Amino acid sequence: MAVGKTIPVFDAIARVNGSIPYAANLKLPGMLVAKVLRSPLPHARIVGLNAAAAESLPGVAAVLTAADFESPDSPALYYGMSLKDQPIVAHEQVRYTGQPVALVAAESAERAEAALAQIEVDYEELPGVYDAVEARQPGAPVLHEAYPDNCFVHAKLRRGDLAAGLAEADDIIEETFTSPLAQHAALEPHVAAAQWQADRLIVWSATQSPYLVRQTLADIFGLPAGHVRVIVPPLGGGYGGKGHIRIEPMVAALARKTAGRPVKLILSRAEEFVTVTKHAATITIKTGFKRDGALTARQVTLYWNAGAYADVSPVLVPAGMVRSIGPYRIPAVWVDSYGVYTNLPPAGAFRGAMSSQAAWAYESHMDTIARQLGMDPLELRLKNLLRSGDLFATGETLHDLHFAECLEAVAEGIGWREARPADSGPVKRGRGLAVMMKSTSPTSRSECRLKIAENAQMTLFTSTVEMGQGAHTALAQIAAEAAGVAVEQVKVTGPDTAVTPFDSTTSASRSSGMMGSAILKAGAVLKEKLIEAGAPLLEYAPEELRAEAGYVFVAAQPDQRLSYAEILQRNGLSALEAAGEFATKGGLDPETGQGLSTPHWHQGAGACEVAVDTDTGKVTVLRYHAASFAGRVVNPQLAHLQNEGNVIFGLGPALLEEMVTDNGQIINTNLSDYQIPSFLDTPLELVSTLVESAAGEFHGIGEMTLPPVAPAIANAVFDAVGVRIRDLPMTPEKVLRALRQAEGE
Amino acid sequence: MKDKVDGFMAELSLTLQVNGQIYPLTVSAERTLLDVLREDLGLVGAREGCGVGMCGACTVLLNDQPISSCLMLAAQAEGATITTVEGLETADGLHPVQQAFIDQAAFQCAYCTPGFILSAVALLKQQSQPDDQVIRDYLAGNLCRCGSYGNIFKAVKTFEELL
Repeated sequence: MAVGKTIPVFDAIARVNGSIPYAANLKLPGMLVAKVLRSPLPHARIVGLNAAAAESLPGVAAVLTAADFESPDSPALYYGMSLKDQPIVAHEQVRYTGQPVALVAAESAERAEAALAQIEVDYEELPGVYDAVEARQPGAPVLHEAYPDNCFVHAKLRRGDLAAGLAEADDIIEETFTSPLAQHAALEPHVAAAQWQADRLIVWSATQSPYLVRQTLADIFGLPAGHVRVIVPPLGGGYGGKGHIRIEPMVAALARKTAGRPVKLILSRAEEFVTVTKHAATITIKTGFKRDGALTARQVTLYWNAGAYADVSPVLVPAGMVRSIGPYRIPAVWVDSYGVYTNLPPAGAFRGAMSSQAAWAYESHMDTIARQLGMDPLELRLKNLLRSGDLFATGETLHDLHFAECLEAVAEGIGWREARPADSGPVKRGRGLAVMMKSTSPTSRSECRLKIAENAQMTLFTSTVEMGQGAHTALAQIAAEAAGVAVEQVKVTGPDTAVTPFDSTTSASRSSGMMGSAILKAGAVLKEKLIEAGAPLLEYAPEELRAEAGYVFVAAQPDQRLSYAEILQRNGLSALEAAGEFATKGGLDPETGQGLSTPHWHQGAGACEVAVDTDTGKVTVLRYHAASFAGRVVNPQLAHLQNEGNVIFGLGPALLEEMVTDNGQIINTNLSDYQIPSFLDTPLELVSTLVESAAGEFHGIGEMTLPPVAPAIANAVFDAVGVRIRDLPMTPEKVLRALRQAEGE
Repeated sequence: MKDKVDGFMAELSLTLQVNGQIYPLTVSAERTLLDVLREDLGLVGAREGCGVGMCGACTVLLNDQPISSCLMLAAQAEGATITTVEGLETADGLHPVQQAFIDQAAFQCAYCTPGFILSAVALLKQQSQPDDQVIRDYLAGNLCRCGSYGNIFKAVKTFEELL
C-alpha cells in the first residue's frame, strides 16, 4: 500500500543537484526584462506623470502606466478578490510606499532600470495612517471614499448570552495582544512571465493558485477563461504569500504592449517587502470563568491591518473571527473581527492564516487565567477542551477532534509533570504549552484526472502546486493506492490550466484532504473502467471482479486475472481515463457567524522549555515538542517535516520578525535587518508527533504546529521569570523592559 | 577597463574556471558572479534570495571556500577555482553529501539546498568530524525558510559517520 509509506519525493535528485525549474530560470526567445517604478510615498495624489523619455530610450520595448487603461478596449484597471479596489498600476493616487506606478519592459535589467529613472512623477503628499485601530477612529485619513471609517469588512459572531455568561463568572480577565506586520519571506521571490498570442495569454507564475490567476486575468482582459493559460513550476516556498493574485496582472498588462514578446518580472527582496504582508493585529480578549476553571463567556475584538487594498481580507477577516475563539467549550461567545485599510502594503494569507495572531492571544490569555486560578495551565485546558460531538461557537457539530491527544503528547514529551529543574545564576528556565484550532476553506473544489496508458504507466493530472511540501509525491501515493497501481508507475503532471483540471488553491492546508478525496474518486472510477474492459476478456460479470495491485482478477478465484496493461492492449486502447471531483460548501450568517465554517478542523499543539537570560533578556528555546492531528498519514517523513518546519518557521514571529515602519516607510526591507530563523535558533531538541487516525480522512498538515509556537514560548517565559509579554516579537529588549518593570513594582 | 559607453558599464573580457572547465566570457563590468553563473553559464543551482549575502542561497565555492556569489563581481572571481552544485556530480553519480541529503530528506522547497550542500562539502573538507556546535555555527549562514534544519543536521552527521 503506497499510502502510509515514507518514500523520497519524486524529484529528490533535481532538488539536490540544483535542476528544479523554478520560475526565475525561465528563458523564452525574445524575452524582455520588466522592472517596476514604485511610489516613494505612503499616501499621495499623482499630479503629473511623464513617461515619454523612458519610452524612447534604446532597448526599451514598452512602458505601462495608468494611461494605458483609459480607452474603451483597454483592460480593466481595478481588480480584487471581492472588492475590486486595487489598480494594476496606480491611478491618480498612491496608497502605500512601494505601490507600482509604472512598469518598463526592456532588453536588459540595466536598460529597464535606466528607463525607470527617466519616468517623471509628481506627487502631492497626503496624511497617512498606519495602525488599524487608529485608522478606524474619526478624523483618520480616509483611503477609499466608499469606506469613510476605513473599515471595509466587519465579521460578527454572536452565540449565547454574553452578559449572562459574564455575570455568572466568578472572575473576568481582559487582555490585549498585538502582532506586528510581517513577511512570508519565501527564499524564492514572486516571479511571473507573460506572453500574448493574438487574444490568448500565457502566464508562467510562481503562484499557489493557478485557476484563481486564470480567472482574474480573464476578467481583467475581458477574455473567456480558456484563452488564458497559467503554467506553474515548482515553487521555492509559498506560505500563503503566493496564494492569490499578485504581480501577474501588471506583467500581463505590460506584455500586451510588446507585440507578442514575452516579459518576465522577478521581484527583488526589497520589493517583496512592499508586495504582500502578514496582517498586523490588535486583539482584545475577555473571558469569564468559574473558580473551578470552567469558561463561561468569551468576547474577542480583532483589528486586522489589511494595508491599502482589500485583497483577500474580505475572506480572511471572517475566517479570523472563527479562528479567534480557541478549542474550548464556551457557552457564550461574541466576536467582532474588523478589516481596516491603512497606508501600508496589502496583507494577504499567511501560513496559519489569522490563527497565529489569534492563538498568540487566546493561548497566552489561557495561561493568565490559569495563573489567576492557581491552576496548572495544562489542567485548565484539558478541563475546557472541545471534544468530538460538541457544538462550536458557530453552531456546527465538531467531529474527529484530537486536541487533548495533541496536548497530552507534547506535555508528556516535554516532561510537563516532572519536577522543574532548579536554576542558579541569571539564566532561568521555564516550560509552556499551547494548543490551537484552525478552520480550512469552507467552500472549495478540487478536480483531477487519472490516465493509465497501455504500458500501465499512470499519469495524475492535478493543479495542486508543488511548493516543497511534497504534494505531488503524496498525491501520487494516494493515486497509486486508489487505482491499484505501484507508486513507481505514477507520474504527476501540472499545474497547467490547459491540461490539468480545476483546483481552488494550494493553501489553507486543504490539498491532502480535498485533492486527495478527488483522487480517491477518480481511482475508483478508473478501477470500474478497467473491470468493465476486463470483464469480457475474463468472461466474468463485472460484479465478480476486483482491481488491485495492477491486476483485474476474479474475486472468488484470484489466479484468474489479467494485468491492466494486457486489458488495455487486448481492447486496443492506448489509454483509459477517469476524472474525480471533490467539493465542499459552507458559509456563515453575516450577523451571527452561525453556519458551517469548515469541512474539518486543523488541530495542533506545542510545548517547550526555554531559557531566559535575565541579564540580556534573550530567550532561547531549548526543547520543543510539537503535535498535530494528521488524519490518515500519507507519507510520514513528509508529514514530520511539515510539523518541524512549522515550528522553526514559528520561531520567527515569536522571537525575531517584525516589519518596522516609520511614517509609512518600511525601514528593514532586507534579510539582515529582518531576521528569519537560522540554524542557531533551532532548539537542540525538536520532536514531532503525528496523531493519526488510520481509518480517517486525509488531512492537511501544512500549518498546524505553527500557531502554538509563540504562545507556548511566552507561557514558558512567564513560567521562567514571571513576566507576561503581550506584543510580538519577544525581543530581548522587551523581555528586559518587562523584567525591570516587574522589579520596580 | 574602458570608460562607460552609452551610459552603461563597459564590457570586460575575462575567463572563469567553473567546475573544472574554462569559460572565456565578455560581460558588463558591474555584473555579479551569481548573475553570470546563472544567465551566461546556465548554472541555476545558485539562486538569489536576498541580494545582500545573508541567506546563502547564492553560495558557491571559491577555492574551496563558501562565498556569497551575489556579493562578488564576476570580474573578481577571475583566477579562482569555482565550484557550483552542478560540479559535485560525477559520472559515477551524486556526491555523497547530495545522497545524504536525499536519504535524510534534508530539504522541502530546495531553494536553499545547493547552498547548504556546498557549505557542508566545504566544512567536511576542512574538518572530517566536526562536532555538533561547529556544524550549526558553520551552517548558520545558510537560511532555510521551510525549516529543514533538523534533517539537514542529520544529513551532515550521518555523512560524517560514514567516513
